[in-house]
Amino acid sequence: MSAPEASVQVSFKNRAKTALADRTLKIAIDRTTGTAEAKRAVAVAAFPEFQAARARGRAIKDHVIAHLDHYLEQFERNATASGATVHWASDDAEARAIITRICLDAKAKLVTRSKSMLGEEIGLPHALADAGIERVETDLAEHIIQLAGEAPSHIVWPAMHRTREQVAELFKIAHHPPPSADDPATMVQSARRELRAKFLGADIGISGSNFLVADTGATCTVTNEGNAELTTTPPRIHIVTAGIEKIVPTTAHALSLLRLLVRSATGGELTQYTTFHCGPKRPGDADGPEEMHIVLVDNGRTRMLDNEFREMLRCIRCGACMNHCVVYRQIGGHAYGGTYPGPMGSVLTPVLNGLAGSRDLPNACTMNGRCAEVCPVEIPIPTLLRAWRIRSWREKLEPGSLRVGIGIWAVLARRPGLYGLASRVGVRALRLFGKGGWIARLPLAGGWTAHRDLPRPAGRTFMEQYRAQQAHKGSRP
Amino acid sequence: MTARDRILSAIRAALPQERPAPDAISAEANALLADPDTSRPRLVAEGLLDAFILKAEAIGTTIDRVGGMEAVPDAVRRYLSGHGLSLSLAVEPAPALTALDWTGLDTGTTLAPDQPAALGKALWGIAESGSMIVHSGADTPILLSFLPLHHIVVLQESDILSHLEDYAAQLAERPHPRNAILITGPSGTTDIEGSYVRGAHGPGFLRVILVASTD
Repeated sequence: MSAPEASVQVSFKNRAKTALADRTLKIAIDRTTGTAEAKRAVAVAAFPEFQAARARGRAIKDHVIAHLDHYLEQFERNATASGATVHWASDDAEARAIITRICLDAKAKLVTRSKSMLGEEIGLPHALADAGIERVETDLAEHIIQLAGEAPSHIVWPAMHRTREQVAELFKIAHHPPPSADDPATMVQSARRELRAKFLGADIGISGSNFLVADTGATCTVTNEGNAELTTTPPRIHIVTAGIEKIVPTTAHALSLLRLLVRSATGGELTQYTTFHCGPKRPGDADGPEEMHIVLVDNGRTRMLDNEFREMLRCIRCGACMNHCVVYRQIGGHAYGGTYPGPMGSVLTPVLNGLAGSRDLPNACTMNGRCAEVCPVEIPIPTLLRAWRIRSWREKLEPGSLRVGIGIWAVLARRPGLYGLASRVGVRALRLFGKGGWIARLPLAGGWTAHRDLPRPAGRTFMEQYRAQQAHKGSRP
Repeated sequence: MTARDRILSAIRAALPQERPAPDAISAEANALLADPDTSRPRLVAEGLLDAFILKAEAIGTTIDRVGGMEAVPDAVRRYLSGHGLSLSLAVEPAPALTALDWTGLDTGTTLAPDQPAALGKALWGIAESGSMIVHSGADTPILLSFLPLHHIVVLQESDILSHLEDYAAQLAERPHPRNAILITGPSGTTDIEGSYVRGAHGPGFLRVILVASTD
């Protein structure tokens, strides 16, 4: 991302505070994540082999990552043989430059785009705007946030932070004619009408890719709306942007992972439209683009191959971790400040933007482990977040006061006698702040007591009580 | 150094120096797909046809069954009349469809903006998921599957496969088309408050005309 490094750090806490105070946001988040959680549970319960499928999915991704160079070269050979042009981009800036150049060389005025988180990651929307090219987002949620001038707040439902009433406000201004009512069905019809001409009039269609199939050179899109095919078929040029970790050996491997992806993302079994795009229009084909370009993007991924975050390369971007995260469900996606929100985003944002600017994200986690439990490729997300905390400590990124506090605790924790003494003093001192069983205010602990009370501790430490009880038992005949 | 070189050398620097031969990698990849039944859904009915119908209907696809290809135009007429639509549609320019007797129906091979229906042919069905497969080609314009509000698809009962892997095997046996599409139910979206609405950009109605096997 092109976001300045410090922005995540400086304002994560402020953004989270603002989000927590926004009741409408909470309603919107609850409606979508609640439905997603329930539907996923039903889909998984109906698939007793899910656990075995997960293990297989994990093994497929691990296999690909262990032979990534082999598969990328195989993909490049086959995609090229199909007539596509393969481009490589080390980082976001290179990727933007490649895509902008293709658009400008083609003198493109209108570009339609089918939702792709990688496109967001490399800052494609801004790059197209800077190049003076009109960009039309065709996924319904992306259409909504484009009208609102916002970034996605979820990787599967980018507009989930907006209620139907808020969507209706946007459509009434932007759609001609405006939708006649604000129920979702009427608004979806309105968007269908509004975007139809754009699909057919675009010079270039840009999509992402859920899978890159090495042995065929095909790229795969999955949508429920059908907007990917309407984006990629009519224009003269189709551009695909894809992270290098999206590669799979064959179509069968892609379909095996698809079973996990869809159930984990929406609770469906398959997306309505799963399309493998293999090269441009063939001689005699009834329709299709004349040129196909595939931009393979690294942007930090190769750095993850030999460090503690390698397992994150298995991620298939289903969003289940955020739907099940207690923190995400309180603050929503924008508070995280990166392209990818929630637990998976808290692992990836420090890779993309640097740890110094995003060290608050791995700390905004309760370690309850729900994300790892639902991850369809068994990524140990809490372990990876802890790895960032360890790095942050080693790189001395915490504020001085926190380091001093933890330093004092560490001195005590390594000396049991001293620790016991401090505990005995501490619990007695804490009781002085308690009123009616609860502590509502405590010096140096405003971060806790501003939002909730602390139970007034018992008069003696656990060890004191334990010894007393043992002594009592021992005195019995 | 090009970006390609930078990326590939970064990968090679991070991976072990001793690497298996391509054949060994390929064998390892194939082994990952062994015993597929242990990790894929079982069919919801004994027979492929019954399982396909159950799954397709569960996701909002409607089904009509006819005894042979010659009965397809009547089935189309029934469907259009049943929805109160004009007897006008775009028909995919595949000989198996254009050769039928379309008397009484206004047919063409392109879809007018106000035309609500198009007819196409699926190569296979998948019993596991109720999906149908369309490949692009000279007589298969992809847009005909996406532009109309009502998408009608002809599928031979004998072309129903069991699982996704069976389709992958079929695809691997022939030249890959530009587009290979699995269609699983009508277009839909849950982008506004997670509530499900049909007909987002693609067809809001998906009709399958199942043609009985003649053998």
